[in-house]
Amino acid sequence: MTPAAGATGLADRVAWPNRHLLDVDDLSASQLEVVLEQAGAMAAARGAGTVPAALKGRGVTILFHEASTRTRVSFEIAARSLGADVVNVAVASSSVTKGESFADTLRTLEALGAHVLVLRHPRSGAAELAARHFGGHVINAGDGWHAHPTQALLDLATLRSVLPGERLRGAKVAIVGDVLHSRVARSNIWTLTAMGVDLWLTGPAGLLRGFEAWARALPSDRRLTITTELDLALRDASAVMALRVQRERLQGAGAPSEAAYAARYGLTEARLEACRPDVVVLHPGPLNEGVEIDPAVAAGPRSLVATQVATGVAVRMAVLSILCGCHGQA
Amino acid sequence: MARPELAVGDRVERLELEDVWLVDPGNRREGPAGLLVEHGRVVDVDWARRGSRKAPSVVVAPGFFDLHAHLREPGGEDAETIASGLAAAAHGGFTSVCLMPNTSPPIDRPEGIARTLSAAAASGSPVRALPYGTISVGREGHALAPMAALAAAGAGGFSDDGAPVDDPELLRAALTEAGALGLAIVEHPEDRLQTAGAEANEGLAATILGLAGAPPAAEVAAVGRAIAVLRQVVAEAPAAVRPRLHLTHVSVADALALVRGAKAEGLPLTCDVTPHHLALHDGWVGGDRRFAWDVGSSPWSGGPTTAPPYDPSTRVTPPLRSPADALAMLAGLEDGSVDAIATDHAPHRSIDKDVPFGEALPGISGLETALSLLLLAIDAGHLSLATAVRALVVGPRRVLGRGLPERRASSFEAGVVADLVAFDRGEGWSVTADALRSKGRNTPLLGRELPGRVLLTVADGRVAYLDPGLD
Repeated sequence: MTPAAGATGLADRVAWPNRHLLDVDDLSASQLEVVLEQAGAMAAARGAGTVPAALKGRGVTILFHEASTRTRVSFEIAARSLGADVVNVAVASSSVTKGESFADTLRTLEALGAHVLVLRHPRSGAAELAARHFGGHVINAGDGWHAHPTQALLDLATLRSVLPGERLRGAKVAIVGDVLHSRVARSNIWTLTAMGVDLWLTGPAGLLRGFEAWARALPSDRRLTITTELDLALRDASAVMALRVQRERLQGAGAPSEAAYAARYGLTEARLEACRPDVVVLHPGPLNEGVEIDPAVAAGPRSLVATQVATGVAVRMAVLSILCGCHGQA
Repeated sequence: MARPELAVGDRVERLELEDVWLVDPGNRREGPAGLLVEHGRVVDVDWARRGSRKAPSVVVAPGFFDLHAHLREPGGEDAETIASGLAAAAHGGFTSVCLMPNTSPPIDRPEGIARTLSAAAASGSPVRALPYGTISVGREGHALAPMAALAAAGAGGFSDDGAPVDDPELLRAALTEAGALGLAIVEHPEDRLQTAGAEANEGLAATILGLAGAPPAAEVAAVGRAIAVLRQVVAEAPAAVRPRLHLTHVSVADALALVRGAKAEGLPLTCDVTPHHLALHDGWVGGDRRFAWDVGSSPWSGGPTTAPPYDPSTRVTPPLRSPADALAMLAGLEDGSVDAIATDHAPHRSIDKDVPFGEALPGISGLETALSLLLLAIDAGHLSLATAVRALVVGPRRVLGRGLPERRASSFEAGVVADLVAFDRGEGWSVTADALRSKGRNTPLLGRELPGRVLLTVADGRVAYLDPGLD
């Protein structure tokens, strides 16, 4: 148990389910509260300059098979500030060919002293595979379209900062954009519905394919609504999250161009009028300004994009310290 | 029923099977009986009089016939050889196996057929290997393979399995040419325009797991098109041409509905389903380990699971479908629209499976677990033993037409060559790497205890498999 986690006491009362963080699909509200509390403690410790060297002597290897700046740097800062020995490995995704080499790479990194592996991979399920070969802790930093657990956790922490305590429960949150290809959306579905958020997904019909069935399959205490009508999703929303859209994925999805997409689903000041007056806007980045989000919104007072980035470091510190402090069941 | 004098490979000189449940699909009869085999032949069948007590748990049936197996030789011997594949077949109760020609190089010339047959003979296994030739040269879908020469060398039919015949004109030519030879075209129905990049069945599991979906419509479209081409070939064929189209590993309810319609119309169409498409479903990709009939109205919907998600052994083509599709395949067996059960035994090396899900080679090692999956369906009340045996014995023979080299009995009568499997319904076995004779351990059933221990397989009058416990 790390000093910070021990101080809250919550981590002692709620079992952490796994030695890895591969997905957020099985995290309960109380487990999510553990992360939020720990992230809060980490943010405070950073501000006070009293961050515990919880990972001193531990090796954290950051292995990215996909281009990324913000997530990689965020993990690096988080691990270093906890005193970890950080190794950064960037792999061009084109060199990812045979599993033999992937498994070998993991075993080699472990032999070189990696206790924690932070993995980004273009294939859904890659983190699950890594956990079978890596003896330490695996943190999924994004696998294919599947999951981006720390992004969802930092989104949750960001929302909690403007909707404290019980105000998050029942609040309406809308996610707008390319849900189909989004690991951010999938992970947010699990965390936000677990926290009692009234979650809405909206975007072109072709990019919402299959999610209606998912909404129907969820237990009745989780609230998830799918609509192609942006105005319906935004009405009285407390928060809106725009997803990054990629031009090639808009083809055949009912929005043949970026301009057409922006006209229908781009977040503008005018559109946000449908929301609550105190609505906040999130975006996982990087932003396509003028496509999914208007520059005025991105830079405006409602934008929490900078808060997300800052919160990300504290959340990743929290995750690293929880995993390393609790070895749990394999 | 220990018979210490039996040894694998030897002719069965004397075998007395007493108090067994005999299933005789050729005569559409089953019941308690005794069977006497001498010098490789059945010499006496003694059906017990009615009103006897509890049904015996040892079942004896004619040896099973697999229309679809990948034995990987030549070119993929690290994954399977003809010898290891035939040993796996015998362990699964199969006494005849059709070998898919997608080897490296593919079997698109008569020399390849001859080589396959001699490798099978050299293996010493009495299990019959029946090679298919390719439909097209190099399985490239452009030019027809030399079908007459392949047939003369011993090809039992033609297939480009794994590579559907995309060009309707080529399919038309193939049905005509094979039809003139009295042989079947075994087609893998998949519209590749719809499945490019697909990783799993399009459905709830793929949505939640973030896997690219293969839409069921890709199979429905390919089946519909193949039927349209067949109808045209039948209409224009000279009297001497008897086209036969066999659709392998049908997995989608709507595709089976098209097959049912075409059969009602009288078209020369047959189809098979695999045991994994009958019993498993796409929830298995997410870690659900319930069988299709146990899912009911609560499909897998994420969250904590009974097995880790993305097990690459659940990646297969066609993908595991919805539980409703699996139940439709079971119903199709009972109503006769499905002719045969075929394993699509697809062994792979572990390094070709131990990769991210979407990069894993598709396929399940299936020869040795087929019977057990069918018994699970039978025990759950979704299939009858008689139907299962019919689809493993009689159906496959009907599919191949003139491709069947000699008649092996699908019934038990005095004088026929002994070709049978004896298994204990009431006894389980553990699917472990050591228990499997196949080199391919790529099955999501690995580590499970399954019902139906095969005790003895006799092929062509010789012992093909003997349970080690009986030695």
